[in-house]
Amino acid sequence: MTNDSAVLSIDFLAGFTIFIIAFVWVISLIPGLLIGLQAHTIDYDAVAYRTGVILVEDPGEIAIIEQNIPVPWESFTNNNSVARFGLAVSKDTPNILSEEKVNQFFCTTVFYPIDYKNKTIFGNYHFNISFHDADRNVDRSIGDVLPEGYGYIRRLVKIKGASNATINAINYKNNDQNVTSHTFSILINTPRLYTDVTDPSYQIDPVKDQIMINITNLTSTKSNLTANVNLTNISVMSGNQYDFYGDDGFIPYPSSITLDFQNSSLPHNVTEDISIKFSPKLFQGLYYGIYDPALYQPIFVNLTFDLDGNSTFLNNTWSSPFDYNYDPANVTQPQLRDAVVEVAIW
Amino acid sequence: MVIGDGGQLYTIEGFAAALIMIITAFLVVNATSVYTAGDTHINDMQLEALGSDALKMMDVASNRTDEKTPLQDIIENLDTANRTKFQTMFLNYTNASGSGPRHDIQFNASYTCRNVTVNINSTAPFAIIHSRNLTGSEHTVRATKWVIVDKAVCDSNVKQNRAVLVEVLLWRD
Amino acid sequence: MARLNDDAQWIVLMGFLISFSFFFLALVINQSTVVGQTTAESVIEFPKNDIRDVRHVIGESVNLSDNFDVVKNDITVLSMNRKSSVVWYDNNTGTNKTIEIHYNNGVTAYNETWKLP
Repeated sequence: MTNDSAVLSIDFLAGFTIFIIAFVWVISLIPGLLIGLQAHTIDYDAVAYRTGVILVEDPGEIAIIEQNIPVPWESFTNNNSVARFGLAVSKDTPNILSEEKVNQFFCTTVFYPIDYKNKTIFGNYHFNISFHDADRNVDRSIGDVLPEGYGYIRRLVKIKGASNATINAINYKNNDQNVTSHTFSILINTPRLYTDVTDPSYQIDPVKDQIMINITNLTSTKSNLTANVNLTNISVMSGNQYDFYGDDGFIPYPSSITLDFQNSSLPHNVTEDISIKFSPKLFQGLYYGIYDPALYQPIFVNLTFDLDGNSTFLNNTWSSPFDYNYDPANVTQPQLRDAVVEVAIW
Repeated sequence: MVIGDGGQLYTIEGFAAALIMIITAFLVVNATSVYTAGDTHINDMQLEALGSDALKMMDVASNRTDEKTPLQDIIENLDTANRTKFQTMFLNYTNASGSGPRHDIQFNASYTCRNVTVNINSTAPFAIIHSRNLTGSEHTVRATKWVIVDKAVCDSNVKQNRAVLVEVLLWRD
Repeated sequence: MARLNDDAQWIVLMGFLISFSFFFLALVINQSTVVGQTTAESVIEFPKNDIRDVRHVIGESVNLSDNFDVVKNDITVLSMNRKSSVVWYDNNTGTNKTIEIHYNNGVTAYNETWKLP
C-alpha cells in the first residue's frame, strides 16, 4: 500500500537540501564562464588586418557582369559594377596606390556604407578607414566616429602621382603672320609608353592615370597683341577621329576634359596660359572594345586656336607633335609620395 | 525502538550528487583560459606588418630616374650622417600617426653579409643604428629586407654587387 | 536478498545531468575564444613578406650578369643562417630561357618558374 501520509523523512529533506544548495551555487558560476565571450576585440584586429591587406595590396576587381569592358573599377559610377575594392596600382606592385582609385574610394557620393561592408570588409562591422597623405598633408576618411575600443591596423604606402607636361609656348611659335587659325598637337604614344617603362609604379598609363598639359607664356607668341584668342576645338584621334566640345557638340564623356580647372565648354577664351586635364575615361572610351593593350594605337590631341586677327601663335604643325614621353625635360614624371592607410573595425 | 535508517539513503544520494556537481564546476571553471592581448599575438602581427612596410617603403625610389633607393644608398655609404638618416626615416614611418593610437616604437637595426675569404659561408652582422640599447627583457619582433648593394662587405675588399639582409628588431615601450 | 532501495537515484541522476550540461557549455565557450588567436598566429606564420622579398631580390640579381654566382651564394647562405629557410634559384639560358625559384622554410614551400621572352 502506498504511503500518502504527506510526511517526508528528515533524512530525505537533509539530502535534498544539500543537493539544492550545491545546484544553486553551481548555476551561479555560469555567468563567469560567459565573460570570455565578451572579448570581441580578438576578432576585430583580424578583420582590420584582412581589410588592410585587401585595400593596400589588391588592385580591386570589377563585377562579372561588366567583365566584357576591360576598364579599371574606379571608372564606373554604378556601385553594382564593382566586385571588390582595392587601391593598389596593380597586382605586382603591393603598397603602391593609384591616385584615381584613392579618389574614387573616398568619394562618398558614389558608394554607401553597405558597399564598403560587402566589397572590402566582407562582414557586418562598424568601420573607419582613413588615409593620410604625408607630403601634401591631406586627410581623408570614411566611416563612423571612432569609439573607445576597436581593432586596428596601420599600413604604410606610397601613392603614385600623376604626370604632367609644362610647355613653354615660345618654343613652339610659328612665324607665319597671315593666318588666324593655329593648331598645336600632342602625341601620346601609348604602345611606346607601355614598352619603354614596364614597371607599373613609374609607368605613364593614359588609360589609368590622368594627364595634364599646361601651356604657359602664350602672349609672347603673339605678334599682334590685340588679337583675341579662343580655343575652339579639341580633337582626339586614335585611328578614328573624335571631336570633343567641337562644332558638332559631340560630348560622349562629360568632364573627361577639364579646362583651367573648371568644367568649361568651347570656345574657351585664352590669355596667358591654359591648362587641360584629361581624365582616364577619355582614353578608355577611345580604346573601347580593344581587349589587348598591345593593339592600342597612339593618340594625337589637336588643339585649335582661333584668333580674330592675323598673328603668329603657338603652332607646331610645321615641326612635329609634342611627344608626351618619359623625357624629364618634356614631362614631369609620376612620382611616388609617402602615405598612411589606417583601418579601424568595431 | 527501531531507529528507521531507511532514509539515510536520501541523504547519502544528496551528498553524492552535490559532490559531483561541485567537482565538475570546479574543473570547468578552472579550465577556462583568459586570453590577454599578448597571448593572442595580435600585437606581434601588427608590429611585424608595420616593420615590414617601413623597410619596404625605404627601399622604393621616389623617381624612376633615381639610381639607388634610399635604403641602398644608406647601406652603401654607412657614415654617421646616413645612420642618423636611417633612424629618422624609420621612426618617421613607424611612429607617423594618423588618427590611430600613439606608437612608442623602438628598434635595433643591423645588416648581415656573407664572408668569402676567412670562414667561408659564415655570416656576420654589422650594426646600423639603434634607438635604444636592448636590455634583453623586451618582447621583440623581427622584420627583414633583402638589399643588393655595390660595396665591399664583410671580409671582402672587392667592391662588387652583393646581397645583404637588413634586419630590424622592433618593440614597444 | 531484499531488493536494493533505489528510490533516491533520481537525486544523483539530476546531479549528473547538471554536470554534463555544464561540461558541454564550457566546451562550446572554450572553442569560441580561440578563433581570434589562431588568425593572428597563422598570419605571422605564413611568410608572405619573405617570399615577396626573395622574389624581388632574385629578379634584381638576374640582371647582374657579372656577379650572378656571388649574389646567389649570398642569398642562399644568408637565408639558411638568418631566416632558417632554404632558397635555391637557377637561371637557365638554354633554348627555353627560364628562372626557377624554390623556397622552403620548413612549414611553407613555394616554387615558381618564370619564362623569359
